[in-house]
Amino acid sequence: MSAILLVAVPLLAAFLSILGKKLAPYLLLVVGLFNIIILFFVPEGIVIIGGFEQPIGISLLLDTYSRLALLLINGLIVLISFMNLGKYKKYAGILLLAMAGLNGMLLTNDLFNLFVFLEISGIAAYLISSSNKRPVKTFHYLVLGVVGSSLFLFGVVILYSMYGTLNMVDMIQKINLVGNYSELILPFTLMFIGLGVEAKLLPFNSWVKGVLGESNTLSGPMIGGVYAGAFGFVLGRYITNLFMFEGNLLLVVTVLLSLGILVGEAMAYSSSKAREILLFSSVAQASIVALLFVNGVILWAVYYIMAAAISKTILFFVINKATKEVGSDEIDQLQGLFVNNKVVGVAYTLITLSVMGLPLLVGFTIKINFLTQLAAGDQIWLIIVILLATLVEGIYFVRMLIKLWYKGNNEINVSYCNPLKIIFVIIALAFLTFGVYQTPLNNLDNSIDTVMEVVDNG
Amino acid sequence: MIQYIAIILFVFGLYGLLTNRNVIKMIISLNIMEIGLFIFIISVGFVYDGIAPIISSTADLGLLYVDPLPQALVLTAIVIGVGTTALALAFAKSIHNKYNTFNLDEVEEKL
Repeated sequence: MSAILLVAVPLLAAFLSILGKKLAPYLLLVVGLFNIIILFFVPEGIVIIGGFEQPIGISLLLDTYSRLALLLINGLIVLISFMNLGKYKKYAGILLLAMAGLNGMLLTNDLFNLFVFLEISGIAAYLISSSNKRPVKTFHYLVLGVVGSSLFLFGVVILYSMYGTLNMVDMIQKINLVGNYSELILPFTLMFIGLGVEAKLLPFNSWVKGVLGESNTLSGPMIGGVYAGAFGFVLGRYITNLFMFEGNLLLVVTVLLSLGILVGEAMAYSSSKAREILLFSSVAQASIVALLFVNGVILWAVYYIMAAAISKTILFFVINKATKEVGSDEIDQLQGLFVNNKVVGVAYTLITLSVMGLPLLVGFTIKINFLTQLAAGDQIWLIIVILLATLVEGIYFVRMLIKLWYKGNNEINVSYCNPLKIIFVIIALAFLTFGVYQTPLNNLDNSIDTVMEVVDNG
Repeated sequence: MIQYIAIILFVFGLYGLLTNRNVIKMIISLNIMEIGLFIFIISVGFVYDGIAPIISSTADLGLLYVDPLPQALVLTAIVIGVGTTALALAFAKSIHNKYNTFNLDEVEEKL
């Protein structure tokens, strides 16, 4: 059993879904579950495609890092398609395409192949965002996405002209041999900008408000949760192994990311709309993830991405469903949402408190661990920035929760079906469990990313 | 020299994207930008006095060939470019259907 199935099967299913549109949503669920199951059986290592030995042919790299990412992405796509079962039927084929693109992006060991998967998942994302029925916002997203991926390709081609290879491992080996970082600043910056557009990093994230601010129960969780998680993992892989920022470039990137955290939190604080609060919080989280990878914190950044992706999937779903039924996402209009939905309310509250980083929840465990690692690296200013962001985050989330729990002038009746309630409660309980019992989280370490190990072993 | 032309085309496309408010003109700018990028990719594989990379007999071994990889890359990139342009045009059509204009300033006035 090969890791290539994780890309090939969803791609084949995406074509088949055109032939049988009624069965497409179920095909999506089956393919998603198939991917999750085979992930437990596929052996780790490099997968050579077409019999072309490295570095000539395209190869895939499956290690614990990409396995965790793939489990998260495929699991969340299955969850989102289950939560939207019976709705958005014509988007099932697009979700299969997104699954193939994101899986390929997380697996590939070839830089041009990464660009191809970046475009496939990008096209799927533009189509998913078109479900918002806001064509101008979707068009802006497409334009920014295409410019970003063009810049990424520009960077890749410059690297190819310098080192004569597109294989990531081979390129890292050659860069280590030459060791002249100053000539790599331009291609690395172009590639970082390209990935930064989709990863929602400041200042390349102007599309986010238009897309997530008008999202629905499909586009919100997909772009705010799944895509954010996948691009966090891809960005982490390349920051840790290829970019390895140093000198003035490191300073510029650190300042930009710190600004991204503070501006994201400030925008969320100043907003009165629930979806905007969530999306600006996501922008800040994306910058925190990138900042952790820049500072060599891998494991806890991975857990942070996973917790953030799962949280945002649920939070966006709950808010978008309420917005659809109430007709507005103003927090004042949603006041009292949980009065008649106590189970959903408790789960939502626990997940939100975890995002804030309150003790006894997994968010706290993750935050305390990465802050400890930053402290060990003498990154005091970064700790101050993250703590300040956590404080602001705490204020606006508590303000939001109080409004949602206390009855307003209008009674709100939003119905969440029982299977949805069970899913929310299971996730909230998982956050609570890993918050009080963190031994399983400590079983792994920074060596989950094996690229440098492969580079060292030739 | 050809790489400078490619970069100038890329910058022209980017300038067009930033200054135009007409959706169709923006898509054309996007294409100009992509063409600049494609020419840049092709130029990377260029070898002075190199011939087409087709080996038909053992006598051809040792000849100077241009790099075939950028040609394969640009072919893939062109296909992807066509796909995104088609999608952009579909969104342009739905903007026109909804607001009866291709101009984003006029769309904003109507919102």
